Amino acid sequence: MTLIATRGLTKRYGASVTALDGLTLDVEPGIIGLVGANGAGKSTLIKILLGLLAPTSGEATVLDLDVRTDGSRIRSLVGYMPEHDCLPPDLSATEFVTHMARMSGLPRAAARERTADVLRHVGLYEERYRPIGGYSTGMKQRVKLAQALVHDPRLLLLDEPTNGLDPAGRDEMLDLVRRTGTEFGIATIVASHLLGEIERVCTFLLAIDAGRLLRAAPLASFTERTGTLIVEVEEGSRELADRLTAAGAAAEVDGRTVLVDLPDERPYDLLRDTVAELGLALVRVEQRRGRLEDLFRDAPEVTDAA
Amino acid sequence: MPPEGGSVGTGAPAASEIYDLGYRGYDGPRLGRAYAAWSLFTASLRAAFGLGRPMRSKLAPWGLGAVALIPAAVSLAISASVGPQFSPFSYDDFIWQMQAIFGLFVAAQAPELVGGDQRHHVLALYFSHALERIDYALAKLGAMIVALVIVMGAPMIVLWVGRILGSTDLAGAIGDELGALPQVLGSPILHAVGVGSVSLAIAAFTPRRAYATGAIIAIFIIGQGVAQAVSRGTTGALRDIGPLINPFVWLDGTRDWLLGRSVPESPVVRSDLSLATYGLVALLFVAAAIGLTIWRYRRIDA
Repeated sequence: MTLIATRGLTKRYGASVTALDGLTLDVEPGIIGLVGANGAGKSTLIKILLGLLAPTSGEATVLDLDVRTDGSRIRSLVGYMPEHDCLPPDLSATEFVTHMARMSGLPRAAARERTADVLRHVGLYEERYRPIGGYSTGMKQRVKLAQALVHDPRLLLLDEPTNGLDPAGRDEMLDLVRRTGTEFGIATIVASHLLGEIERVCTFLLAIDAGRLLRAAPLASFTERTGTLIVEVEEGSRELADRLTAAGAAAEVDGRTVLVDLPDERPYDLLRDTVAELGLALVRVEQRRGRLEDLFRDAPEVTDAA
Repeated sequence: MPPEGGSVGTGAPAASEIYDLGYRGYDGPRLGRAYAAWSLFTASLRAAFGLGRPMRSKLAPWGLGAVALIPAAVSLAISASVGPQFSPFSYDDFIWQMQAIFGLFVAAQAPELVGGDQRHHVLALYFSHALERIDYALAKLGAMIVALVIVMGAPMIVLWVGRILGSTDLAGAIGDELGALPQVLGSPILHAVGVGSVSLAIAAFTPRRAYATGAIIAIFIIGQGVAQAVSRGTTGALRDIGPLINPFVWLDGTRDWLLGRSVPESPVVRSDLSLATYGLVALLFVAAAIGLTIWRYRRIDA
């Protein structure tokens, strides 16, 4: 089953602002990180998938249902946690989440039972009977997650779930998200501009930039070994690089380390011999791993559409 | 519902308790859009009376509801002691006489029903559920109208029961008063549809409670003063059309047309407009109000 598929999805606000620009992607179930800078089009994509916004052109399906024609059916199978505040202050968490469960079509008794369950899951206890207006940001985020989970959705769309949380609150929320995805088995899309968070919970990554797909791949492939060898020596990195270059390897100095291109196994022997000849103190030799940040650092500069 | 599952007294830390309970899926029925809309209607009707909310949310609806009931109860007491013919209210003029109370009721409760969801961005959640935008608009309209039917209808029924019980000839009174039932029930329904749809349309256009309340008071309460002044102080077309600014005027004309007799204080009796014209004006205003409310929720950014 395809979780989400889009074909040339485009959304323009007015004549000048393009939020999504011909986005085409296919996503399988899992915990999917949707990353991009602020304004990259993450929230717009989520709103289109929910049928809250109509795309300007292109197609999109969620759980094999068309967002243009099956919006109501999609929304009954999807849980959505918006980025912004969305809770009425005068109701208690119990009353509000029960109400939202009924908005998803759960009968009254089932709505009450599920509400008690999910509020426990997100870690709200006695305070769930008090009006939401008196809650801390962390508690409000938990209520927002609870209302997205209460109808046992097949897909969770979380828009910046750690917004406004302190470090401890972030850890707890990310842990909840990971458990929801792995133990509860609910496909989850987490939109965030914080790469560190995405790295901690997601198995698959969608990177978008200026409304276009930058890359879609398993998280591991972003951080897998690259074709560069990092060589750290006590001193003499300049000499080492010069010798290696003279011997035909591509090497460059980067502070105390030397970066060596690794097209095959040959540079290993060359490196060993060279270090021995120069009598250098070798600290570390390792293959460099990719970093998520590189994704955006190397991205082509896109001129501002607006 | 047990408050904390089965772990009370085990001393287990909260985190492991959550973990141990595991997640249960839901395989039960999903009743879909119509049920969701009905649930929103009943929840909104409760909200219109502050039920399930703090005490301060109950003050306005219950206070104003009581104020509307008191004259009916007093009227009941008078007719019980002096005789039904001395009742200070008739079925025809009760809502007209009490219009300021009902105007205040919608000024307080229409923004309560629709303003908060806009102010606190709850609409984004509603529209991401099984509900469609038009369902939200109609559920809120329905709740406002039914709340008004209750608030306007309860005193009318008290009046009606009072007349029957206050009569010396019970059997004869029941026979007489049965004929008044269409007015007793029809007049509150007619007024509730008109007042409810107009006030909700106004309230739906702003998340700011003060603006909505002010605009509703302007139309329903200041509008009453303007209607009376124009009706008494001018002549010709202005005298006839000016008072239509107050919904209670076109509703009174429609009531007069459909159900009853004229109210002497109403601008309707001083107007040359035919009663059917009031009916047409009412139809246009109600249709416009409902249309605007639906349009507003179709366009609003969630």
